Amino acid sequence: MRTLRKLAMRFAGLFRRGRRDSELAAEMETHLQMYIEDNLRRGMSASEARRQALIKLGGMEQTKESYREQHSVPFIGTLMQDVRYGLRMLRKSPGFTIVAVLTLALGIGANTAIFSIVDFLVLRPLPVERPGQVVYLTVARKGHGPHTAFSYPDFIDIQKQTANVFSDLSAVGMFVTDGLSVNGQSQPIWSSYVTGDFFRLLGLKPALGRLILPSEGSVAGADPVVVLSYAYWQSRFNGDPSVIGTKASVNGVPVTIVGVAPQSFHGLTSLVDFQGYIPLGMAATLKDIPTDFLEVRADSAIALVARLKTGVTMQQAQTTLSVVAQRLSQQYPTTDDKIALGALHLSPAGLATDPGSAETLPFMGSIFLMLAAAVLVLACMNIANLFLVRAAARQREMAMRAALGAKRARLVRQLLTESLLLALLGCVAGIILGLGGSTAASSIPLHTSLPIILDFHFDWRIFAYALGAAVLTGVLVGIMPALRASRSNVNEILHEGGRTSTAGGHRLRSALVTAQVGGSLMLLIVAGLLVRSLQKAQRTDLGFDPIHVMNLTIDPHEAGYDETHAREFFHTLLERAASLPGVQSASLATSVPMAYGGGDAAFLKIDGYEPPKGQENPGAGYNAVSPRYFETMHISLLRGREIRDSDTQNSQRVAVIDQTMANRFWRGQDPIGRRFTMTDNPSHPLEVIGVAKHAVANEIFSPDDPFFYVPLSQFYQPQATLQLRSAGAAEPMGREATDLIRSLEPAIPVFDVEPMTTALDTLNGFLMFRFAAALAASLGILGLILAVVGVYGVISYAASQRTHEIGIRLALGAQPTQILKMIFRQGLIIVGAGVLAGVLAAIAMARLVGNLLFGVPPGDLVTYVTASALLVVVALIACYIPARRAMRVDPMIALRYE
Amino acid sequence: MAAKTEVQQGTLALMILKTLEVLGPQHGYGIARRIEQISGEQLMVNYGTLYPALLKLEQEGCVRAQWGASENNRKAKYYRLTPAGRKQIAREEKQWAQTNAILARFLAPEGERS
Repeated sequence: MRTLRKLAMRFAGLFRRGRRDSELAAEMETHLQMYIEDNLRRGMSASEARRQALIKLGGMEQTKESYREQHSVPFIGTLMQDVRYGLRMLRKSPGFTIVAVLTLALGIGANTAIFSIVDFLVLRPLPVERPGQVVYLTVARKGHGPHTAFSYPDFIDIQKQTANVFSDLSAVGMFVTDGLSVNGQSQPIWSSYVTGDFFRLLGLKPALGRLILPSEGSVAGADPVVVLSYAYWQSRFNGDPSVIGTKASVNGVPVTIVGVAPQSFHGLTSLVDFQGYIPLGMAATLKDIPTDFLEVRADSAIALVARLKTGVTMQQAQTTLSVVAQRLSQQYPTTDDKIALGALHLSPAGLATDPGSAETLPFMGSIFLMLAAAVLVLACMNIANLFLVRAAARQREMAMRAALGAKRARLVRQLLTESLLLALLGCVAGIILGLGGSTAASSIPLHTSLPIILDFHFDWRIFAYALGAAVLTGVLVGIMPALRASRSNVNEILHEGGRTSTAGGHRLRSALVTAQVGGSLMLLIVAGLLVRSLQKAQRTDLGFDPIHVMNLTIDPHEAGYDETHAREFFHTLLERAASLPGVQSASLATSVPMAYGGGDAAFLKIDGYEPPKGQENPGAGYNAVSPRYFETMHISLLRGREIRDSDTQNSQRVAVIDQTMANRFWRGQDPIGRRFTMTDNPSHPLEVIGVAKHAVANEIFSPDDPFFYVPLSQFYQPQATLQLRSAGAAEPMGREATDLIRSLEPAIPVFDVEPMTTALDTLNGFLMFRFAAALAASLGILGLILAVVGVYGVISYAASQRTHEIGIRLALGAQPTQILKMIFRQGLIIVGAGVLAGVLAAIAMARLVGNLLFGVPPGDLVTYVTASALLVVVALIACYIPARRAMRVDPMIALRYE
Repeated sequence: MAAKTEVQQGTLALMILKTLEVLGPQHGYGIARRIEQISGEQLMVNYGTLYPALLKLEQEGCVRAQWGASENNRKAKYYRLTPAGRKQIAREEKQWAQTNAILARFLAPEGERS
């Protein structure tokens, strides 16, 4: 207790120092006067009385000092002293301070901006109760990789048999768009279909009204309610609370809006902002799926999320799941033969439909964090260099302080305080820059009606990261010069007269700049590789021609149409659209290349083709299209015929396959007339009627998967994209076609109205390349700037240090060009060694980014040579300026210098 | 003049407290004079020892300081014993008595023998 009190008073003492000092002075003055008075009373003369008193009482200043020490916490007292002194020093050389703070700000800014992106994509937990306990399940069926689609009967079985490890298990169907009509106005809504305990599992409370109840969702067609997301409620209904209880309709089926989900909750993925939640059972009436989907074990479409019971580990859950999987495969060999179940943490990356890709974002994130860290290291090196130069200049000051009795630790501490102060200033500036950077990144246009959120807002993690980076920088940057400065031999320096000594420091500085050149070259090369792969990706042959094609997506079921009416509608629409002025051809397709969520895919049984032993039936993607699709997309047909109006519901099922599929299954044979079946639709074999050139379908990354096209009339899907090829610009077609659809049926919402070129700029299209290239290029340019500043700084400092020497050389008859060469040689050695180091570092780094490259090998010679040349040229220009200055040195002035 | 010695470490605090107990509230000079007198002018109390010791006692809560006027109307800081200070005296007196008794046993036999 007493020590605490003492400490508290001492801390308080820190802040009342001035007053304390003057009080003590007054008190001691009284003391002195009283003593003098006593002495006078004893009969001394006035001056003798004073003299005796002063002798006896001792030094006032020492007393004050020991009183002060007693009075406050010495450590903090000195710290404050150091901070004050450091701030004075920084103010004294504003040029140095500004350059250092700006350099640091760039480094820390780049880091925080990228960290904010990584934080959002990978680190920030979903806003649910105890997110660490929430997992989602994966299922791997015989011969296939794990995915997240389960059937409802499997869900029920798993739920019953895992009660020992999961306190809740809930199902959710995702990636569906519906049409929500309120007061006759229909707009698309991205909804999740969930079982009743979904919200209880996540521990969420409604922002308004109620959420889906545990009793809802398990009966087909029952519980016609919808819960809106907060953002959707805000944007469509302006946050009007009276919307609760409103009668609305989803895809023409009457429902009631019963509540609003909490503001922070965007659904279970980190990117998509789900707008509505509907009881799972309603899918039977709202969506075009079999009404008995809740009973069919083969129908896998729902994802499962679960909450681990408190204290249950992932291993325990896995053990239970393995037992369940074994039981399921024994009980249901037709559908669940040899299935394997797994669990993955839902947080922080969110539910990934393809668990394999769950690794991609963290991987990319760590690559870019590494690159950003490289920029920070470059910035640190620059500042370390500045500090070394300053330390050399302040050597005499340090020596003087040491001579006056300052301990070495004390000097180091003071210099460290200065560098930390600088780092903190840089940190503040960097956070401001980083905010700007992440705001810019947040506003990248994604070109999709899918509500993607890129919310790179700053939270405590980012501030902690920035602060950590700053402190680390401060210590790293400060410790070397501080140790050097404090180690120096006092005697030597004070005796050395005016000339500052440099030799050792210079070597260290050159090494630092060499490393800097290397680091910056590495960044440049990586950036170059990414930029080149973006160019390659954009120039790659897609197999179709996206220019002058306009897309419009509609779903007549969202206006309450049934299949028959929708087919009629599509038919009329195609006829009318084809006759729009400027339209060369019009067609419908159920999927657009590189769209989110991908297209359809099926497993195939192919006549005359045996899959390699031990492998399952092969899979292929497909697109259901209307006649004239190949004409609209400019996909060339190599053999056979394309899909025609004569391919109807009642005629033979047909397919146009692509080259890849033809080569895979009928290598060296004529595929026309051959047959295959989709395993989930065995009663309708398809006959191959044509072979088309391979066109990129889902992802630009995996262009070699087999693909085929089927008539939309034979494989009807309610949602389709109208595609129009025009002679001129595509954009005006969008407006005309929207008007046309409105005039045919005003209640149908039209979305994704965009030219094909824009539609390709998606996350699985070009966007990732663009994003990666832009990020890497910014980092590369930052690195280049920092390296140039470093080279310039070191060369010009070295040149200025050698002014004296240069003066002598010139006086002895050296030619200015020789001086130029001399300075240049120094620069060349640094740059040359740096380039060598940079190329080696780049080779290592390029191997890591190899996964992000497209069509460019990690060892792409063009990139390496271009980047190196760019760096060398810029660095030599940086050398030229100080070299020219040195060349013009006037020997007379130089010899008098210092 | 007898050779004056500096106050022994650790004893000054108790002397200050005891002085305040006997004399009541007192300023720094008064405390110093009193200690010197009681010691028979053998101890010398200067600023450098007195004021840090007073501050320490104040921080520990044994004394409380207040500005007041001295006998001849000089502004002076008066120190007053607090209840915690009184307890501290009792504690330290007991400790000193023990220490003395122990030391006496070490020193006494020699004295008796001689």
